[in-house]
Amino acid sequence: MRGWWRQQVMGQAVVVMVVMVMSMVVADAAAVVDVYRMIQYDLRGAPMGSRRAALNHHATSGFDVAGADLSRAVVILPVLEVNISSLNEFVQNKGLLGGLLLLLPQRSHESGGGEGDDSDENVGKVLVELEQWLVHNTFQYPVYFAYEDDYVKSVLQEVSANDAAGRPATATTGGYKLVVSVSEAKKIATPTLTNIQGWLPGLRAEGDNSMLPTIAIVASYDTFGAAPALATGSDSNGSGVAMLLELARLFSRLYANPNTRGPYNLLFGLTSGGPYNYNGTQNWLRNFDQRLRESMEYALCLNSVGSSSDHMWLHVSKPPENAFIKQILSEFENVAEGLDLTVELKHKKINISNSRVAWEHEQFSRQRITAATLSQLEEASELLQQTGGIADSRRAVNETVMMRKIKLVAESLARRIYGQQGTQVEVFAAGTNLALSPAYVRSWLDLLGRTPRVAPFLGKNAPIITALHKELAQYTKDASLQHETLDSTFVFYDNTKAQLNVYQVASVTFDFIVALAVGSYLIILFVVLFITTKGVDDFLGVFRKAPSRKFKSS
Amino acid sequence: MTFFHFFNCAALTFGPHAVYYKATPLSEYDTFSTCIKAAIVYIVTTLIKFVCFATFLQVSEHDGFDLSQEILKGLIGFLDVAGLYYALTQVSHRSISQNHKFQAVGLGWAFADAVLHRLAPLWVGAKGLEFTWEYLLQGLESNANLVFTVSLAALGSLMWLRKNKPAALVPFIYVSAGILAAMPSITSYLRKGLAWEFPRVVSFELSASLLMAFVTWRLFSACQRPAQ
Repeated sequence: MRGWWRQQVMGQAVVVMVVMVMSMVVADAAAVVDVYRMIQYDLRGAPMGSRRAALNHHATSGFDVAGADLSRAVVILPVLEVNISSLNEFVQNKGLLGGLLLLLPQRSHESGGGEGDDSDENVGKVLVELEQWLVHNTFQYPVYFAYEDDYVKSVLQEVSANDAAGRPATATTGGYKLVVSVSEAKKIATPTLTNIQGWLPGLRAEGDNSMLPTIAIVASYDTFGAAPALATGSDSNGSGVAMLLELARLFSRLYANPNTRGPYNLLFGLTSGGPYNYNGTQNWLRNFDQRLRESMEYALCLNSVGSSSDHMWLHVSKPPENAFIKQILSEFENVAEGLDLTVELKHKKINISNSRVAWEHEQFSRQRITAATLSQLEEASELLQQTGGIADSRRAVNETVMMRKIKLVAESLARRIYGQQGTQVEVFAAGTNLALSPAYVRSWLDLLGRTPRVAPFLGKNAPIITALHKELAQYTKDASLQHETLDSTFVFYDNTKAQLNVYQVASVTFDFIVALAVGSYLIILFVVLFITTKGVDDFLGVFRKAPSRKFKSS
Repeated sequence: MTFFHFFNCAALTFGPHAVYYKATPLSEYDTFSTCIKAAIVYIVTTLIKFVCFATFLQVSEHDGFDLSQEILKGLIGFLDVAGLYYALTQVSHRSISQNHKFQAVGLGWAFADAVLHRLAPLWVGAKGLEFTWEYLLQGLESNANLVFTVSLAALGSLMWLRKNKPAALVPFIYVSAGILAAMPSITSYLRKGLAWEFPRVVSFELSASLLMAFVTWRLFSACQRPAQ
């Protein structure tokens, strides 16, 4: 009796312990992969991009797998194999999908410098098209990017093989399960645009109290792409930033000595908000003091100057017949000849009622300041185009050609500042202490090519902003930061990076089979032990007990 | 791989012990206390063993088979035998026949071994989403271990509790007991020295356990006859 009671208590204690311990969950994945979430934003209230972040579904390799339930599957697609038109059809038909994982080709670790081969160009073109399509569509399911390393490749191969053999991964058949456990994305309450400026004051002549004319050199430094954690924008506009910093360095040398200080003030501006109709530039200009505005002779904006093309465009909004514009153009053309570059003028009228601002100089023109944009791009881009996304890699920037372009701008500016138009003087000659520094430019291009710079995700104190500020502070006076809030046309949501857990799960059927096997093993064991120790009669007696009792009672 | 899998593996690992207790006359003679006492002796023995490991063994850098270390481990493993001796002879049991005594001791011993060595990995590992065969194989290993322990307990009872044994069989008894006691060293040699994979090692254990059980049974019944 006591023994039975003890067993009861022990049994209950065990059950309680088991229930308590079962409530602790332990996660343990076979592999963890870094993934980068697609951007989620609202444009004028319309939801765009990928609207979900958490992922917990089986993996499948395509859209046409027989027997797969797409609404509970994650489709893994290498970007080079994406057929945008069929994807577009799927999305337009409001197809339900558990999730989309896009695989980017393994990133090579060479820094830029040059040619890149045809395959690079192809990859670039495909990525640009894909990014444009992604950014302008809405997806009600999570979309992630990952780099295609060996492990991911092997997983994809296995999944494709299983799908092809007619065994897609589902809850009943087992397979690979992809899990990203993050909370849903929240709105970024106050997306900040930070403008950085630096001032190089010129030399006033004796007895002259009027304000010196100012030339502004401006470049926007932020980017936008389908995956904010990957939008490093080397050409758009890392090249513009690097050119601006080199110009600041060279002119600060010239201006350090009063004997060589020019009669112009130089204002260097690194603006944010480029992809969003140059919103940061607009705010920066609005805060300009009236005297500064009146003294501004002209502003040169730099946008995408890093390609290997020899041909540059000078985009203006004033008509080409304007005398001042002609002057500026001829200054550039004179220098360009000697450097095997060509500069061509392109005129685009501003439409004040249209909120789209395609070039940075247009913001200056709207404030009645003469300005031009120097760029290798011929056509103005549409909203959220050419904004330095994943496709814009470090390898797209050609430093050698870029050094010539920097020399072009530096010499043209120097001729204007020191009144040497028409002469062939070379201010920044090689071998002097005013020589251009390819190492300097390269180190900045490398840094910018590794740093994603989507403004709403940078915040006020991002390391890259601090770095740019410090650099300008080194070469200019009064280097300062200005923080503005991005206008409400654009609303952004956070969650840009996550970790993907890949599990290999067995099917529920398998579990049942194992349970059956173990159960029958235990039953057989019981029977065998019973018979061998107590004898067959006793065993059969277990089944005969009920009737015999009945007999006895009656 | 979810709770279902955990239950399957747990049933495979611990089920046979419960079945053994229920199916054989052990349950009728209420030998539960013997099992508990044997389990306690096992825990104490294991603690002493681990203290010796910590004192005498060095942590090896590589995963290979280091002969001197393994011999040392084997010698310390013989503490298991001492523990079984203590459980069989010194601990007072209620009056139960020798037959049942060694079974109860072996069962308690093996159950404690299974719980201490296999419950925690099973809990942490089998509940995850990722599937591996490892926990099912561990369950099979625990079955083999049960057979080994009961055989060793049987031989132990022959050696220490039975006074009259036919002289010819005595060396066999000691040799079999020696093999059983050295079984952990043998499996670790197979795993590390010969680099056998886990499934192969488990199948070796299963077959060896059946073989040794057969041998022990023959020895036991052979010793039974003169007493009767």
